[in-house]
Amino acid sequence: MAHRLEITLKQELPDAEGEGVRQKAANYFGIAVDRIRTIHVVTIDADLKRQQLTSVQEEVFTNPVTQRSSYDPLDEPFDWNIWVGFRPGVRDNPGATAVEAIEDVLGVHLKPGEAVYTSKRYCVTGEGLTEADMDRIAGGLLANDIIQQWRITPKGSWDPKEGIGIIIPKVRLDHTPTVTTLSVVSDEKLKTLSDERNLALSANDIPVIRAYFTNPENRRCREPVGLSEPTDVELEYISQARSDHCNHNTFRGKFIYRDPAAGEEVVEDNLFKTYIQAPTLALKEQKDWVVSVLWDNAGVGRFDEDHYYVITGETHNSPSNMEAYGGAITGIVGVYRDPLGTGKGSKLIMGSYGYCVGPRDYDGPLKPRLHPRRLLDGVIEGVRDGGNKSGIPTPYGQVTFHPGYMGKCLVFVTALGLMPATVQGLPCEEKTTSPGDLVIMSGGRVGKDGIHGVTASSEVFSANTPAGHVQIGDPYTQKKMHDFLLEARDQGMIQFVTDNGGGGLSSSVGESALLSGGCEIELEKVPLKYAGLDQWEIWISESQERMTIAVRPEDLDRFMALSKLHAVESTVIGRYTDSGKLHIKYDGKTCAFVDLDLLESGFPQWQFEAEWCAPEERGLREPVMKAPGDYNALLRDLLARPNICAKNWVVRQYDHEVQGGSVLKPLVGEGRDIPGDAAVIRPVLTSNRGLAFSQALLPFYSAIDAYHMTACTIDEAVRRLIAVGADPSEIGGVDNFCWPSIQYDPETNPDGKFKAAQLVRSCRALRDMCMAYEIPLLSGKDSMYVDGHLTGRYGESHKVSALETIQFSATSIVPDVRGCVSMDLKVPGDLVYVLGLTRSELGASEYYEHLGYIGTRVPRVDMEASKKLYGALSGAISKGLVASAHGVYRGGLGVHLAMIAMGGGFGLDVDLAALPSEGVARNDTLLFSESAGRFIVSIDPKHRQAFEECMAGTAFGRIGTVSEKGGRLTVRGLKSGDPLMDLPVSVLKEAWMAPLGELI
Amino acid sequence: MTTINALVLTGYGLNCDMETAHALRLAGATPHRVHINKLVSREVRLSDYKILVFGGGFSWGDDHGAGVVHAVRFKTHIGEDLLRFIDEGNLVLAICNGFQTLVNLGLLPGIGGDYTTRSVALTYNDCGNFRDDWVTLRLNPDSPCVFTRGMDMIELPVRHGEGKFYTDPGILDKLVANQQVVAQYADRNGKPAGGRFPLNPNGSLLDIAGICDETGRVFGLMPHPEAFNHVTNHPDWTLKKEMMKREGRALEDGPTGGIRMFMNAVEYLKK
Repeated sequence: MAHRLEITLKQELPDAEGEGVRQKAANYFGIAVDRIRTIHVVTIDADLKRQQLTSVQEEVFTNPVTQRSSYDPLDEPFDWNIWVGFRPGVRDNPGATAVEAIEDVLGVHLKPGEAVYTSKRYCVTGEGLTEADMDRIAGGLLANDIIQQWRITPKGSWDPKEGIGIIIPKVRLDHTPTVTTLSVVSDEKLKTLSDERNLALSANDIPVIRAYFTNPENRRCREPVGLSEPTDVELEYISQARSDHCNHNTFRGKFIYRDPAAGEEVVEDNLFKTYIQAPTLALKEQKDWVVSVLWDNAGVGRFDEDHYYVITGETHNSPSNMEAYGGAITGIVGVYRDPLGTGKGSKLIMGSYGYCVGPRDYDGPLKPRLHPRRLLDGVIEGVRDGGNKSGIPTPYGQVTFHPGYMGKCLVFVTALGLMPATVQGLPCEEKTTSPGDLVIMSGGRVGKDGIHGVTASSEVFSANTPAGHVQIGDPYTQKKMHDFLLEARDQGMIQFVTDNGGGGLSSSVGESALLSGGCEIELEKVPLKYAGLDQWEIWISESQERMTIAVRPEDLDRFMALSKLHAVESTVIGRYTDSGKLHIKYDGKTCAFVDLDLLESGFPQWQFEAEWCAPEERGLREPVMKAPGDYNALLRDLLARPNICAKNWVVRQYDHEVQGGSVLKPLVGEGRDIPGDAAVIRPVLTSNRGLAFSQALLPFYSAIDAYHMTACTIDEAVRRLIAVGADPSEIGGVDNFCWPSIQYDPETNPDGKFKAAQLVRSCRALRDMCMAYEIPLLSGKDSMYVDGHLTGRYGESHKVSALETIQFSATSIVPDVRGCVSMDLKVPGDLVYVLGLTRSELGASEYYEHLGYIGTRVPRVDMEASKKLYGALSGAISKGLVASAHGVYRGGLGVHLAMIAMGGGFGLDVDLAALPSEGVARNDTLLFSESAGRFIVSIDPKHRQAFEECMAGTAFGRIGTVSEKGGRLTVRGLKSGDPLMDLPVSVLKEAWMAPLGELI
Repeated sequence: MTTINALVLTGYGLNCDMETAHALRLAGATPHRVHINKLVSREVRLSDYKILVFGGGFSWGDDHGAGVVHAVRFKTHIGEDLLRFIDEGNLVLAICNGFQTLVNLGLLPGIGGDYTTRSVALTYNDCGNFRDDWVTLRLNPDSPCVFTRGMDMIELPVRHGEGKFYTDPGILDKLVANQQVVAQYADRNGKPAGGRFPLNPNGSLLDIAGICDETGRVFGLMPHPEAFNHVTNHPDWTLKKEMMKREGRALEDGPTGGIRMFMNAVEYLKK
């Protein structure tokens, strides 16, 4: 018998959630609602007695000071009632903790099948509201039909006794787990089966797979275990391992690169080996701080003698594009398992985010599944809950708007961890599995989650089919597991640990078994969320919050006891062997028996045609325009552009202080409201040593050339580190490629060859920059197919592809955090310098974009000069000569002079004639060119000589001085005279805050 | 010298335990991070400690009201020991999620020594969102709170979505009359925030950020003293450093405001 408890805030208390929905309904849809009150519904599907129900109502679910509740529908007035609940199988975190609380208070255990489900009622009051309005609010603000269901009831047809009724989204599969064998009589047959089952086997792989299963020797081996033709479990395993996600076939592919104009034609065999692995290994030779790279879940660098830091970056684009909140929280919580599964395990110490979405105010004809504004809100909230509830600070992040991301958004999530150099005398970065070790799965349970990822989204929903292909991460369960595993590590119980992400057990067990040389798995032991999963589903399910651990038999009892203490579920699901076989049984019957080295058995390399076409050949030209007259208005407008303006509402939703090591925060300056250049944390609280972190995204430049896009992105990330005082000799990098499809097809991807050429050029820039700046790549990932098909005004569909995008993350050491420098001007009278040459490089700049141009002169990095300059500046900072330092980034000098003035709240008087430049004769070019390698620095006048000595041999110019508090930004142009630009800094700040500054 | 054992709770989604232990150590106490279940199983006994810290975090995900499930579990399994612990003159510090837990336990405000009635609440921020920002607090010199002795103002970070202090007017008057209101949100000069956002980040009645019981030995606050454990935690430290330099002085490295709160606790217990 199920019971429905309704809880709401007392009348006298404002309902912030309801009010938020009311405002969005008005602002987004122009629907005027008087009032919205929310009611939380807790449906207890368990056999409880009256007094038990009363006791949980009072002790757990109702705060006597602020709330009222009832097992009958609450009499909250409304004109329309909207009920929103989860679909079956969607992770209901509050429902799960409600069970824990009920069991604790009542001292009972719910029976199998009993559960608690949470949902919400929105009581909407207002004149002349229609059902269509309600449907707009429900579908457009409150719910996403992929994971949620809703019901709309007008006042008239509301039954005050029954209310919404009792709704129980329970998964019922009524299915007996079955292993199916698939025929390999012919390539065609196997291809058909692969398509029918969404196996996504590549046509080139099929003959290799058939060859293995038809090989007489293999057949003979399989007979004794009762197998002949491949089972679905085996083919799913192969399909997972061969997927682009797990195997990076694109980066390991063969590219035929042509540049007809230059008459160049070369074969680029394996971009990964040539442009990522080779340079990184070469640099590892020179740099003893690089501890472990290119094999584990994340890269490892030395923090100090006793600690190593760990870093990796991921994207979670497709799921976030479908269900923004669920996709994003699953992404951040998921990437946090990578450091936890690196070496013998690392403590998480920080995370960061990068969002690329369509214009927030888009009102054109295209119909994305989620409007960019709603998508961004959901993504922000997902990463907020995932990070904050994990107790991990999020001190850095970025948001980029561009129409190209309407087809598919990008959600970058980056994670850093810290491990002791040794655990019980053994290197913590090393791990392995040995025959006899037990295979243990810890954390969450297994359901139909993430099986065949997005393909499942086309399925039709019935009342009880699980909608688990879009997941909702559970930071609470994972935080318990995190604390547990680190304690197990410190007690020496962990031989090997890795996370269950893409491919689930299939990948984590498959890969870890390669080390011992085999494994034997008893699949029926795997704990399930609900019965009825097929064996292959259990094997490849991507249910979250799970780690796979190798534990010695002699440590098992201690391991399980510790797991129990931390209230974490751990299960022995098999053991590692040296049989050379992946052997999977279910109730004693073998359902998979293949050679582990099958995956190395000559699968063909993917091939791509890449054809470069220079910007001029693509019809790009420099615009013909004369310099503007009203620079004051121009700068105000640039400061208000979406990619420049204040986005502080995002930053403040993220806890960037937890763990107590915050040194340089995401927002700095006297108003604590201007973005800093990089984040600095002090991960070891007993030490003054720090870790600096920065990221950059400059996809705009790909419109001209992805080589320079990549070079400028890396240069910006590095400059951000230098600006705060990080050590230039210990910079580690993380590359995250997000690319549109590069496989040429005359019909569906006519410019595939060009996009492939852009990828090759991007990789070349990555190598060139890493070698020039001496940056080993500690980690990296690629996410291809950033394309979408959007319906237009007449029902036609348009392919929308993202700009070729790379997010580059950089870390380095800060020997003593007390030496760090922030970007805000500090003292009136200080001298202001610009370091680095300004060139005529307005191509794809914010200025050109503002005026509707692209141009051709994209910024180019002068690697040699920059490296020298960065060394000199970091010397000056470490000598304590610098009061403030800030890189010149998107928007150019004009925008960034405004930033440092707003940061300090001081005026600034500068003369462009003193600016170090090369071949520039125009003021607008000097002010808005985005040439790389530049900084603006302010110093105490008494350090002038010492500072200029430090900078000797680099391009620098003293362009002016800091003026009084609350002063004006005054810029004098070439051929001096009247100032070009002269306006109060407060006016600049108003303009910069205007578009999004009021959001909370 | 006597060792002051401090117990910092861990587990079930709590965090901040590492930096809270660090702050206690800097203040001269001997911290122990202990999983809630070790108290439940009596493997660890409260009676071996002088300070108990309910730290920050998201206990049980905060899914049914921040700190609610944590409070229920404590009351069900450790309630008696906790009351005895307070009765014996020991100290309880409750930060953020810990403060939310204590008001749900009824341990605060503890008016008239009643440590079991829920009479105040920390509910959803008026701003409608989780917020991380530094705030200025004015501290009540007339309160019995042992943690804030000799301090009149302090800057600390808040990081919460449910920090709005709420209760009925009768209770509010009692708290003021009893000097149990310890910390209130203020502007940078110490003038009351008067409910103005973001000075008062959550809409708390009377700008209340922290209260104590009548003995002053049980203290709960929303801001995080443990997160101000080093001079570089403060948002303006780079500016301060530069100003000091101009006067030929170095950045002072003495105990931060946050650490002084913990030192007050240790000094009280040593007497």
